[in-house]
Amino acid sequence: MQRPGTPRAKARRTGTGGRGALPLLLGPSVVLIAVFVIAPAGYGIYLALTDTQLTGFAARDPHFVGLENFRNLLGSEDFLASLGRTGEFVLWSAIIGQTVLGMLAALLLRQKWLRGKGLFGTLVLLPMVVPEVVASLTWASVLSSNGDGTLNRLLSLFGSGAAAPLQDSPMVSVVVINVWRGIAFAMIMFQAALEDVPDELIEAARMDGANALQVFRHVTLPLIRGPVFLYLLLTTITTVGVFGLVYFLTQGGPGQRTELTSIYIFQHAFRDSQIGLGSAASVILLVLLMLLGLTYARLAKVEV
Amino acid sequence: MRRNRVLSATAAGALLVGALTACSSDSGKDGPVTIKLVEYQKPRIAVVKKLIPQFEKAMAKQGRHVKVELVADTLTDDQFRTKITQQLHSGTAPDVIDMGGSNVTGMAGAGYLLKLDDYLDKWHGWDQYYAPAKAAARQPDGSYYSLPHEASVQSLFYRKDVLKRLGVDTSQPRTWDELIGRLKKIRAKTGGAPIVIPGGTAWGAGSWTEGFLPVMAGTGSTFYDAESRKWKLKSKGLTATFGLYHDLIKDRLLPVRDLQNPNPWEPTKYKKFPKGTLPVSAQGSWGWKYDWGPDGSAPIKDVRKKVGTWDYPALVPGTKPHSISGGGFGYSVNAHASDPDAAVELAKWLSSGKPLAKQLVAVGAVAPRKDLAGVAPYKNEPSLLEAQRKLKSCVQPPLGDGEDQVSQAVQSATAKMLSGKADGGQAAADFAKEAKELLGSTRVAK
Repeated sequence: MQRPGTPRAKARRTGTGGRGALPLLLGPSVVLIAVFVIAPAGYGIYLALTDTQLTGFAARDPHFVGLENFRNLLGSEDFLASLGRTGEFVLWSAIIGQTVLGMLAALLLRQKWLRGKGLFGTLVLLPMVVPEVVASLTWASVLSSNGDGTLNRLLSLFGSGAAAPLQDSPMVSVVVINVWRGIAFAMIMFQAALEDVPDELIEAARMDGANALQVFRHVTLPLIRGPVFLYLLLTTITTVGVFGLVYFLTQGGPGQRTELTSIYIFQHAFRDSQIGLGSAASVILLVLLMLLGLTYARLAKVEV
Repeated sequence: MRRNRVLSATAAGALLVGALTACSSDSGKDGPVTIKLVEYQKPRIAVVKKLIPQFEKAMAKQGRHVKVELVADTLTDDQFRTKITQQLHSGTAPDVIDMGGSNVTGMAGAGYLLKLDDYLDKWHGWDQYYAPAKAAARQPDGSYYSLPHEASVQSLFYRKDVLKRLGVDTSQPRTWDELIGRLKKIRAKTGGAPIVIPGGTAWGAGSWTEGFLPVMAGTGSTFYDAESRKWKLKSKGLTATFGLYHDLIKDRLLPVRDLQNPNPWEPTKYKKFPKGTLPVSAQGSWGWKYDWGPDGSAPIKDVRKKVGTWDYPALVPGTKPHSISGGGFGYSVNAHASDPDAAVELAKWLSSGKPLAKQLVAVGAVAPRKDLAGVAPYKNEPSLLEAQRKLKSCVQPPLGDGEDQVSQAVQSATAKMLSGKADGGQAAADFAKEAKELLGSTRVAK
């Protein structure tokens, strides 16, 4: 008779038993990922190799067309321009706007002298809580080119003429709105990361004569590099996928000035029923995102 | 012995189940039927809502218990087309769909809609339809997949009062050069762009059906060859139509900025035309009621006195001014409708007599059939009756498989012109390239 705690009993619990429990523990997640991530992605890749349409006689009998959709897209100025606009949108709104302002907000909230931190934090968090459609429609109303738009009412108080930012500077407008919406997430991520930076290190640097900027550049930033890159990875993925916010504001216009790749895909796949072409565009975007993700992951692993 | 008993019991059971199943299926046919009908425009929703109880009563008189459930979903044309396509594809669409004729070709081609030929052949109401209305509803395979319940005439609407005040000739312009001369005169006096013709991506399919196509259809060039079922993507007419857009943009006669607005019809047709600051507009006959009538989106007081219509002037030498049959809405039946007979019955009832007259007046559409001119309230609408008379001499737009893709290429090419990235020649070349990519080489004439 073996007593609990003896080597054989321990082996049964942690060795053989652990191995048996592994599939049981991982199984549900593997099934979920397979059903909701891998299978749709695989189906998307299959569709990208066909001329599948939703309307017309061609819809009855889709054909395998090999890489023709990819050839058409990579030779299409419109698609390449949409990729360029997406890059511009990600760079200004996510990588620069949200990251820098989110970091500033997090650093500000860390300061002991700051009063009304609760109110400040709530104000920054509020845009994230509002649903995307509500946020878009609110901004559409604020920036409306009509005289009754909030911005134009304010301008009229100062005797200025009506402005139409969504038509005159559409990309700047959607970038600003996306920054407004995304600061909160950046702030939360950076606040959590800053908690792990020991105060002693900062105090020591201060005593050595470093100013605030030098402390941030040479002490704080290297210590939170991992979370910063993780945030950059997450925000890049989510910003490339931004659709509703821009679509409800401009529908990709005026002209094609805010036609991001997500809108290009929607318009071709669903509005124009070209599912094959839309899928191919999605696959190209997926590959680009994976390359970006790998780059971020490599950068984050670099030793400080 | 025991085995025999088991066998006979099984046989008896099977017979009983069979008999019961037969009974239940019979009772299902005579029993209550529910049909779903989808409408997506407010005036249509309002009028059909009132008509449904009358249809249910009419059916009850015939001994049929049919209940109609109205799916009221207020959307724009493009939003509706996108949504209903997904629903039809996934098998969740309502039984009867009320939509513009330009949507039918693609959906019928894909096999989503019920072929109505047998139903229409047996229906005496079909004999009352005008030949152009029937021709417009006939699909490239020679069959009918929608029952048109309205027609329209696409022309140029102009503000008589404004032009007279500005001292500009209001007679029918013979050529586009003549009209452009008048438009320049208006611009010189008002400082604003004087004409709106839909173009670009924001107007969606309207850039094709209400903008580009009516101009192109009068040029005499073949756009879709019904025999070979191929699109001709390069022609004198196409180049001339893109050239016209270019000239109008270059001379600042088109409101480019408004056309790039997400809802371009609002600043143009709903604000500037009623105000008189943009006095010429490409428009379907529904404008008399739906847009500018007393209950329309942007009412114009005394619209009959203040507004007149011109045919589209000739664009290519050797052609004449023309109006174009703009088609209209029709009732289509889902190929997988729960009870196709009842669904078609509803479509026929809504497309006849007083129920049809009420719908036509509510949306400002022209009757596609002869026997409506004396039916109230339609008979009291002079502007619609006048358009109905014009219908017979209208140019028929081409209708072919792949219209959605051609429409998309037109939208992209005109959008490039609006943003100053292409002139007429470049836009025509871009259009031909994109349309060929989207249609595939099998649907394009060499």
